[in-house]
Amino acid sequence: MEKLYRNTAPKFKTVDSIEILGDTKYTLSNNIPVHVINGGSQEVLKIEFIFDAGIWYQESPLVASMANSMLNEGTSRYKAAEIAEKFDFYGAYIGFSAAKHDASVCLYTLNKYLPETLEITENLIKESTFPQKEFDTILLNKKQRFQIEHQKTNVLAKDEFSALMYGKKHPYSNIFDESEFDKLDIKTVKEFYKSHYTANNCKIIIAGKVDQSVIDQLEKMFGAEAWPQKNEITKVKHEILLSDENKAFVCKEDAVQACIRIGRPIFNKTHKDYTTLHLFNLILGGYFGSRLMQNIREDKGYTYGINSIIISHLKGGHFVIVTEVGSDVCKDAISEIYKEIKKLRDELISDEELNLVKNYISGEMLRNLDSPFALSESLKGNLAFGLDNSYYQSFIKELKTIDAEKIKALANTYFQEQDLKLVVCGPEECRNSI
Amino acid sequence: MIEFDKFTLDNGLRVIVHRDETTPMAAVNLLYDIGARDEDPERTGFAHLFEHLMFGGSVNIPNYDEPLQMVGGDNNAWTSNDVTNYYLTVPKDNLETAFWLESDRMLSLAFSEKSLEVQRNVVIEEFKQRYFNQPYGDVWLHLRPLAYKKHPYQWSTIGKSIEQIETVQLDEVKEFFFKHYAPNNAVLVVSGNVETENVKQLAEKWFGPIEKREIAKRNLPVEPKQTEFRSLHLERNVPFDAIYMAFHMSGRTDDEFYSTDLVSDVLSNGQSSRIFQKLIKEKNLFSSIDAYLSGEFDPGLFLVTGKLSEGVSFEEAEAAIWEELNTIASEKVSDYELQKVKNKIESSLVFSEISYLNKAMNLATHELLGDANDINTEVDKYRKVSVDDILNTSAKLFRKENCSVLYYHAKK
Repeated sequence: MEKLYRNTAPKFKTVDSIEILGDTKYTLSNNIPVHVINGGSQEVLKIEFIFDAGIWYQESPLVASMANSMLNEGTSRYKAAEIAEKFDFYGAYIGFSAAKHDASVCLYTLNKYLPETLEITENLIKESTFPQKEFDTILLNKKQRFQIEHQKTNVLAKDEFSALMYGKKHPYSNIFDESEFDKLDIKTVKEFYKSHYTANNCKIIIAGKVDQSVIDQLEKMFGAEAWPQKNEITKVKHEILLSDENKAFVCKEDAVQACIRIGRPIFNKTHKDYTTLHLFNLILGGYFGSRLMQNIREDKGYTYGINSIIISHLKGGHFVIVTEVGSDVCKDAISEIYKEIKKLRDELISDEELNLVKNYISGEMLRNLDSPFALSESLKGNLAFGLDNSYYQSFIKELKTIDAEKIKALANTYFQEQDLKLVVCGPEECRNSI
Repeated sequence: MIEFDKFTLDNGLRVIVHRDETTPMAAVNLLYDIGARDEDPERTGFAHLFEHLMFGGSVNIPNYDEPLQMVGGDNNAWTSNDVTNYYLTVPKDNLETAFWLESDRMLSLAFSEKSLEVQRNVVIEEFKQRYFNQPYGDVWLHLRPLAYKKHPYQWSTIGKSIEQIETVQLDEVKEFFFKHYAPNNAVLVVSGNVETENVKQLAEKWFGPIEKREIAKRNLPVEPKQTEFRSLHLERNVPFDAIYMAFHMSGRTDDEFYSTDLVSDVLSNGQSSRIFQKLIKEKNLFSSIDAYLSGEFDPGLFLVTGKLSEGVSFEEAEAAIWEELNTIASEKVSDYELQKVKNKIESSLVFSEISYLNKAMNLATHELLGDANDINTEVDKYRKVSVDDILNTSAKLFRKENCSVLYYHAKK
């Protein structure tokens, strides 16, 4: 038997390219684009209907989210309880979400029950009726959830931070007062539904075991002209208002930890330096081996976790470091965070660390893009930017060319101390840490 | 149907291999038969703290994470009241790195003072973040000791208190490791784009040389039958009142588990479920409500938990829950309703089989509970549940003297 060298790592291969199951495009006869990702081992389907009906398009708070939620609450053919009954009986799931720009309806179903589940989905997208009683219940429950959420230090810190990044009124902040729940009128919401959930404002992504019969059923139910066509949508504009303030403290007297957010506005994924930014982010706080996690958690034990993230919006974006630390070490944690950023400005990253991070990202892509459902999620994000999943191949290719100098240069261009904004939410004793 | 191969090494390590060639990845899942229930009542939270220390370097490898990240791998772990589970995923060609890392920390740890000191702090911050800095976060710290008087399920995985974690010493860590971490006290599952022959070789090579260890037979106190209604009132700075009701139920391997699970589905799985429709949509008594099983191996808890709507009293809310529980305990569900929840079970099974990592975790759990193949036969056990089983199980569960209630008051 060969001798075992337990202190030497086995040989390994790096991931040089990833194979990505591509999407096939169809167009329904009323011009709705359909992207199909066909694969997987199970007889299941995920069909997502995506509309430009997100927060960006609403004129007052809660409208986009309520319009989206109300789709499940009654249609020309079914009461809310009947919709729920049917989806449950067929073992299907229907999900609703209203994001910054798009809003979607997502059906997960076994292939064998597609005719039944698609029929209900068609009905609720095209002919929702918005009953008052259901509206009141949904709104009230949303309000209670809002009130509970706003007890959390991380939510309070997030709101304050968004206000600094985008301005209080901007849809990317989506900050509003509790009283908005009482002001919301069902008519406004229904109007929003009628003008935004229309065929010429829709795209569809299907993932799973897709054959011709699936496409045919989709054509039959969604391809015909017989669903509301809207008039041209008016272009909506929102100006970003970057705050002059660089710091804010939110007092939460009974908190036992302080939530820290440090970051700045940054370009989105269409920018030429995005891949470098992605690397910078990873090194600083984007994975468990990151410098912040190793320093603040694994060396100092100040926190359960610390992360940095890049948020890429269609018309803007930001970079942010997020952590919750013991209130007694709030000040020290902040100064360590600044130290780590300074190190990236002043020193070149070693070849070893750079290699590790590049290998890690490649593995992560392979891991995250390995199933039709996961690929459909990524495709949705990419389509919004006019890209598709081949984006990842060019990303990996570019990744290999980025060197330590480039990362240092990016750190110096964008991450000077005066560029960064800081928010702390915690007990009064943390006020002097900012 | 999930196909797998199974073999046992001479040192007692059980190995299961499941091939799923639709992914370019491989998962390695190592489940140890040690959880919070095995802790000394004066040292609760130890199993979980120990899980953190498993990342603090092993006898021959100073850093666990770096070499794994270098080959494009990722990992995590979790501790429950029953078990501790470690899992990692790597591009399929780098499977050996996973074996190298996992076997070395089964062999022995580095046992560093620094790691213990840091992870004690990390866990204390975790304790604060999840239990004290969230609205309703401390519920389980109070509900468990209300429902359990003898069995170690009376404490949470995180532990009874921060104080018990603060004083843990390195000697105790060493003792715990050799008492519980051993090839003969674990199940290894490898899934994804892998070949059984290759896994066999790797398992023999890396885990084979680790010696079997003496593992004491588990002998936990049995929870005596509850004979009186229990209640506890807490007042906290939260916006709404909330109610938490706990009923003692069967263990995970009892036949009755399946009917109990379906009872919870009839009551609360999906928006068509009874309590969602009646108590949220029709009567507007709750803003959210759920019925679910705590999911432990030994006899666990059937829970009904809800946040009350503004202006609703505890009396009204509790009475409405009891009305639903009494109905299911005295009137048969229809064949249709039973069929509906069974359909949901079958469907969620199909969806859960998409992920190779999920399958690895489930195979490991079933093997530890008795037989990995139960992953394939379990659906039949659900299918066999009858209308009468639902009635009988409900009648047995939903008795006042089997119930503990935590009233969580919003401070006015």
